[in-house]
Amino acid sequence: MSLKRITKELNDLGRDPPTSCSAGPVGDDVYHWQASIMGPPDSPYAGGVFFLSIHFPTDYPFKPPKIAFTTKIYHPNINANGNICLDILKDQWSPALTISKVLLSICSLLTDANPDDPLVPEIAHIYKTDRAKYEAQAREWTKKYAV
Amino acid sequence: MSTYEEEHGLSRENSEDARSASVDRRETRSQFQELFQTFGNNNSEEDVDNSMLLLLLSQMIPASLQQEWMEQMEQSDKKGCSESFIDSLPRIPASKIKEDDSCPICCCTYKEDDHPLVAELPHCNHKFDLECISVWLSKSTSCPLCRDDVMSHKPGIDTSQVELEEDWGMFG
Repeated sequence: MSLKRITKELNDLGRDPPTSCSAGPVGDDVYHWQASIMGPPDSPYAGGVFFLSIHFPTDYPFKPPKIAFTTKIYHPNINANGNICLDILKDQWSPALTISKVLLSICSLLTDANPDDPLVPEIAHIYKTDRAKYEAQAREWTKKYAV
Repeated sequence: MSTYEEEHGLSRENSEDARSASVDRRETRSQFQELFQTFGNNNSEEDVDNSMLLLLLSQMIPASLQQEWMEQMEQSDKKGCSESFIDSLPRIPASKIKEDDSCPICCCTYKEDDHPLVAELPHCNHKFDLECISVWLSKSTSCPLCRDDVMSHKPGIDTSQVELEEDWGMFG
């Protein structure tokens, strides 16, 4: 079941690739993918390309895929290990979600952070109290690690 | 005659500090061993300070491992629908399935199967392969497409019968 569904998603991604994202297997292992997200133009991540690793569980799509940033990024909901705090990757997962939809959700998380459910409280605090400082820092990290 | 400390540029106070720090460490270790022994001996009538032991233990377990355990516990706590509920889901007759209709879970068209078993959820009317939705509903109660809680629409229990029985008990 999981293998068939993952292959199907791969074919769909090839046929109708989403704008600003791409994803595919790293090597021969269909359960391990790499993805990339272009920093949204209306965000401080604009101009950067961010890489992510995707690991599918054997009971996918009944369990969510494990997705983490491998490119360093300054964001209230993404920590130093690249772990992402996003409800649909945890308790709000649904088997009708696809990698394509999840990557789009991550894109919108980059545009609209969720500082009230932070993974990095320090960044969330700056985001809430000094937005200009947060944006400057996020732009600097983008230039340093994602360009 | 100069002392050892004077010759090596050490003050007595510093060496006192170092000595007390190592005593502290030794005390923590013996405290832990003591607690662990008491904890292991269930017959003991002594009041065991479990919270203290758990605190010490939690400090020894990496945070990442603790989080993994918490997630596993949360998932096993999640209750799905009963088997009888899943079995009672209305089926869609093959004649009403269109050629390109596909299951949102496995993403395969129903007609790929010569004898497709398609089930419909009550209220939201979303359709899935019976096999796929059965697996999902065994650990969740929400529709994969709209998150409607399928168990929140249970038919109301007819209470008139219950009241009647109570009345009989009262006068009987």
